Amino acid sequence: MQYLVSVIDDTAGLATPDEMAAIDAFNDDRLKAEGHWVFAGGLGSPSSATVIDNRGGEAVLTDGPFLESKEYLAGFWIIEAADLDVALKLAAEGSKACNRKVEVRPFL
Amino acid sequence: MVAALTRRFGDLDIAEDAAAEAFATAVERWPADGVPPNPGAWLTTTANRKAIDRIRRENQRDGKHKEAQMVVDPPDPPAPIGAIDDERLRLVFTCCHPALAMETRVALTLRMVGGLSVPEIARAFLAQESTVGRRITRAKAKIKAARIPYRVPSVEDLPARVSGVLAVVYLVFNEGYLATGPDTDPVRHDLTAEAIRLTRLIRALMPEDGEVAGLLALMLLTEARRTARVSASGELVTLDEQDRGAWDAALVAEGHRLVRERLAAAAAGVAPGRYQILAAINAVHTSAHDVRDTDWSQVVALYDQLVRLDPSPIIALNRAVAVAETDGPEVALAAVDRLEDTLAGYHAYHATRADLLRRLGCSQKSRAAYDKAIELAGNTAETAYLTRRRDQLG
Repeated sequence: MQYLVSVIDDTAGLATPDEMAAIDAFNDDRLKAEGHWVFAGGLGSPSSATVIDNRGGEAVLTDGPFLESKEYLAGFWIIEAADLDVALKLAAEGSKACNRKVEVRPFL
Repeated sequence: MVAALTRRFGDLDIAEDAAAEAFATAVERWPADGVPPNPGAWLTTTANRKAIDRIRRENQRDGKHKEAQMVVDPPDPPAPIGAIDDERLRLVFTCCHPALAMETRVALTLRMVGGLSVPEIARAFLAQESTVGRRITRAKAKIKAARIPYRVPSVEDLPARVSGVLAVVYLVFNEGYLATGPDTDPVRHDLTAEAIRLTRLIRALMPEDGEVAGLLALMLLTEARRTARVSASGELVTLDEQDRGAWDAALVAEGHRLVRERLAAAAAGVAPGRYQILAAINAVHTSAHDVRDTDWSQVVALYDQLVRLDPSPIIALNRAVAVAETDGPEVALAAVDRLEDTLAGYHAYHATRADLLRRLGCSQKSRAAYDKAIELAGNTAETAYLTRRRDQLG
């Protein structure tokens, strides 16, 4: 069972060196060592986003994120977990490591 | 497989348990989820995980949880599903999962474990039937999609998870003790018995948890009075009018034993929680062979303690009932009247006012309060009682 752990941010700042170190330690010692690791990544700021709509005849490009909001997706983990309890426990540790709120959602 | 696990973890017990647990999980999951493409690898992976879980559990648990650990992981392998791992207890922990909203946990537990209908749940919590129905449907979908596990939580998670379960089980008990439906029995023994049974199971899992013991004591001392609580004609009999000889002596004795156990813990410096205090209040009542022997100042003192812990208007209302006995109905009425803003829609607020006004000789006002209480009360025995009381007013 895989879960998406979204990192929710409401600050403009990137992760500090301390936060990066904590994230690395969490990734290596917990996720990779115990077989929960699938993928993870940090994202550029919402202002670097481009929205593309190619449902019509021509692809329409729009500068900026598809949703303007105070809180935005700053990064994510995809983890392998037996059930929600395991996923929530890992997500709680991830939240501590990156010092941000996270949201857990199951993949279908 | 056991050999490979033993090699990896260097412990035969852990390996045997992990292998047994993996097979048990397979028996549980495969029929529902389908047999995985590589069953052997699946079993090995699962067993490895179980072993890691167990090692982590054992490293983290402290002395306090040793006994509970013995119950969860019986020392004689292979026994992953013991008697204590009761089907319903697992269901309760699933329904009370913290990833669900509190209202949802209550509704789901009442529906799935208590067997209440959606209209009954809606009535119990003053909610729309359609809202309750949607809440339950959404919760079931989330349990499935997010894979909320169907099991009793691991030992290190138990204390945090259990307080949420107690709140829900207590609501189930109360619904049974004062059933809200106009077409249901006034006291639904099926629900009270179910709530007590569940609490006993939780206590077996967590024998040292004071609030579990407190809640069990509270329920037992309340249940002990069940048969004395409704008259032959189906009318509610209040505590002061009950035939105390009809109380269930065995339940009272068991409840008192538990309360004494918690009093000893409190004397040793463990601060009691709300269920323990409520149980103590009930123990004061059930210790009095005649209502006139009730130690009301003790009851008020316990309510004072409870108010500090939980300053809810309903606690304040119950405290006022005791204050009427120590300081007189006038003082009590003043305290009750201050709760109007929050409790105007609650039948017990009006019933309490009606009784205090009656004792103060204010028949007119008392009658109006009885009318309001009757209008709001859902329990048939309570309605009958309130109606008689109103009609007896001069």
